[in-house]
Amino acid sequence: MKRTFPLILVFVFGILGIIPFFVPHPVVQNADEFLRNEFLRILVAFALVLGLGSLLKVHIDKIKRKRENWQYSWILIISFLISAIIGLFGGVGGTGILPTTIGSFQFDIWTIYWNVVMPLGSTMFALLAFFMASAAYRAFRARSTEATLLLAAAFVVMLGVLPLGDRISPHLPSFAQWIMDVPNVAGQRGILFGVALGALATALKIILGIERSWLGGGRE
Amino acid sequence: MNISGDPWIWISALMSLAIFSFLYRDNPFYRFAEHIFVGVANGWAVTFYWHNVLSPSLFNPLFRQGNLYYILPFVVGMLYFTRFIPRVSWLVRIPIGLYMGYWIGVSIPSTLQAYIIKQVQGTILTTQNFQAWNSGSMGVVWSVILLIGVMCTIAYFFFSREHKGALGIASRIGIIFVMVGFGAAFGYTVMARISLLIGRLQFLLGPWLGIID
Amino acid sequence: MKIIEILTNIDRRIIYLILLIVVVLPLIFPSVEKVRVMPPVEKLYYAIDTIPPEKAVIVDFDYEPQTAPELDPMGFAILRHVFKRRIKLLVLSLYVQPLGLAQNALTQVIEEFNSAAKTNADSIIYGRDYVFLGWVPPPIIPILGMGESITGVYTVDYYGNQTDTLPLMEEITNYNDVGLLVSLSGSDIPKYWIAYAQSRFGLPVGAGITAVSASEFYPYLQTGQFSGMLVGMKGGAEYEEMVERTLKIKSRRKASEALLSLTYAHIVMILFIVIGNIGYFAKRRKK
Repeated sequence: MKRTFPLILVFVFGILGIIPFFVPHPVVQNADEFLRNEFLRILVAFALVLGLGSLLKVHIDKIKRKRENWQYSWILIISFLISAIIGLFGGVGGTGILPTTIGSFQFDIWTIYWNVVMPLGSTMFALLAFFMASAAYRAFRARSTEATLLLAAAFVVMLGVLPLGDRISPHLPSFAQWIMDVPNVAGQRGILFGVALGALATALKIILGIERSWLGGGRE
Repeated sequence: MNISGDPWIWISALMSLAIFSFLYRDNPFYRFAEHIFVGVANGWAVTFYWHNVLSPSLFNPLFRQGNLYYILPFVVGMLYFTRFIPRVSWLVRIPIGLYMGYWIGVSIPSTLQAYIIKQVQGTILTTQNFQAWNSGSMGVVWSVILLIGVMCTIAYFFFSREHKGALGIASRIGIIFVMVGFGAAFGYTVMARISLLIGRLQFLLGPWLGIID
Repeated sequence: MKIIEILTNIDRRIIYLILLIVVVLPLIFPSVEKVRVMPPVEKLYYAIDTIPPEKAVIVDFDYEPQTAPELDPMGFAILRHVFKRRIKLLVLSLYVQPLGLAQNALTQVIEEFNSAAKTNADSIIYGRDYVFLGWVPPPIIPILGMGESITGVYTVDYYGNQTDTLPLMEEITNYNDVGLLVSLSGSDIPKYWIAYAQSRFGLPVGAGITAVSASEFYPYLQTGQFSGMLVGMKGGAEYEEMVERTLKIKSRRKASEALLSLTYAHIVMILFIVIGNIGYFAKRRKK
């Protein structure tokens, strides 16, 4: 029952997901829309809350057991609580019950997003440029014919996509474009077929109850 | 040079520099900024999910307007939290199974259509595909190369037989196409990463330090 | 040889510093590089340009601030193109983070147009010329739901207005009234539009993507599933070039300004790789 009922649910809702693709009748389409808009949409919001709960549990555990760098978990929890309170009670546009302005200093949730979340996230991605330069210098070696081919294609594309490529040779940008259009598409498409067929097979296995790892471990 | 007086610009800049300090080595400033990021990003997300989804779609209709048919999604959604109660944690499979089942069902015909059938249509030798290159008669050549490349790449990833004989030759050709594709991907990845660095530097040099426009 | 020893054992922090210098200097001493427009960008440009007057274009802003340097210039250039041609516009996001970026782009571009407008007819008016639909999670809801009814999915817009009261939404019901959807994304979102909206409803889709995804998305361009594609900062620069050249719109070309930094950074990357390989082969020879 504890494993059978969820498996039956997956099968039934899987079929409910497939049918509207093939049956354009308004009754089927309206039922599908109702299921999506009035039911599944709400479930997703709960899933986020669950994810949040898990995150907080991990860090609260870390603080309780005083694991390595546990002090930073306090920073995470406090910053989460402050931003959540400002957002929930201050409102999205600063129109809630909590005031989000002191004089000319604003601290509504969008201001916090633009000035804290955005720069931090952007900078983390910007770090990758440096790591890539260092990794390319240390590890990118033409050890074999294939690796040399990879390097050569990389150099052609790196030079060809920029105006510099045009100055080196007017054919270089076209050659770089050809590399993207023909050999790249061939290689990527072969990989794409494998991935897509694998995903289809896994999807069918899950719907038919053959693949059950999503149920979690244990006999229950 | 026209350094900003806006406290928020300074907060953004100092946060950015704290993250950049990781380039020297791991340090408390970096860890502090990293944990702030995770905390604030989640607090921000909670705000929007409450104001834009849970409140107007569930709590208002159910608890304020008394639309009782929202009880079902509410109850099923609450089952997510049984994950934290070991005795009844199996109930979390219900909302997961429900949502995942529907999503998988929707994705099966769509995946087949968009990622397999259409891609096969783009690979086979047809006059439409020859003309799509806009290269006149060379379109035929590129289409043939494309077909050979796709077949050989698939041959490379076929591991049920040893790569000997014809399969061996095909897989050798396939790996060439894969390597060229990965090389092109690396070239573009370099451009992507540098672009993101440029974006951050434009902020630090512009709105913060006022060195550039 | 000692010089090869030195060159192949450069401390990583020196590498970081060299990269930083070559990127920063062209930003401080900028010049706008002229770019050659490649076919994928031209295809998207003409796909938007030839939309029938009774149809709308949907621009899906789905990139996070982390990838804004690559995708913002595309978004700005596309909005300028759409507003200049007076094509009906709907804007949406499938996730919550891009909402601010979408609003920022709309606000800035509309301000450019309205500050130069002389009459009401010239101006860009909300509800008449464009609608910002906002965000409805999860992504599958609007992607599938808009095939039946756009106002059915987005009952209120981003600003809280009832969408069925807006003049533009009286003319645009569902995907049949949409000439093209352009998805600006740093992830797989354009593929979702193809898989779920295009395969079921026949919606034409164009894409603006980060350079990281370029390799992976080219197969969809080749089959025609994408009506056109912009790739990374270079793609944004190419679209800026097309917009300026064909529509005579003179505006800030952020992507084009950054191309010189990109060029020097690429040269330095290639040099690092070559130096690394010289050292590797020299050591191998010694053995």
